Amino acid sequence: MDKTDRKYTNGEITVFWHPKKCIHATTCYRELIEVFNPRKRPWVNMNGASTEEIIRVVKLCPTQALAFKYNKDIDGDKQAGINSGPKETDAEARIMEDGPLVLKGSFILYDIDGKELKHYKMTSLCRCGASNTLPFCDGTHRKIGYTGK
Amino acid sequence: MQEKETTVHQPAEVRILKDGPIMIKGTFAFKDSSGKITKGEQELYICRCGGSSTKPWCDNTHKKIGLAY
Repeated sequence: MDKTDRKYTNGEITVFWHPKKCIHATTCYRELIEVFNPRKRPWVNMNGASTEEIIRVVKLCPTQALAFKYNKDIDGDKQAGINSGPKETDAEARIMEDGPLVLKGSFILYDIDGKELKHYKMTSLCRCGASNTLPFCDGTHRKIGYTGK
Repeated sequence: MQEKETTVHQPAEVRILKDGPIMIKGTFAFKDSSGKITKGEQELYICRCGGSSTKPWCDNTHKKIGLAY
């Protein structure tokens, strides 16, 4: 690890930034300014979007200056369950105004065929019906002007 | 073994119903878009087609719209 390297976490994944590899392709902040904002310090805000969104954009980095790892892979104990001490077990479902249903915490997600769907600890489900990644949200609600009213 | 927390909730069950709403069942906190929170055991049906007139709840409009997923 280089001295200039930085890491940022939302508790679920850690995003690594290797500035020496960055060629300023601008992909990250064109895709997700809520998380990757070069005008802000720290320039990565891990609370700006869901884990899926962050991973999607990290993967778009052409030089792998951005990379990520699941925290459970970094430190296996943290997510091992009740042995690791008090743990948030309550599930939370939240309606975003004019946006998706955001699920957090402990829940099991089943797809239309009844099969369990892998998901992140925080995930967004489409409410507008127009996502290209159903059942998940991909931001299409903004394009179609979906209103939750 | 360390001490267990006294309250351990079952994970809530979230089902994507075919061509229909999202069902959320179990013990969870539900927050609507105004920030109002409802806690405890509940079973909710959230509109997924975008066309319900009782949003965020499903009102079966998906059948008219023909939501296909």
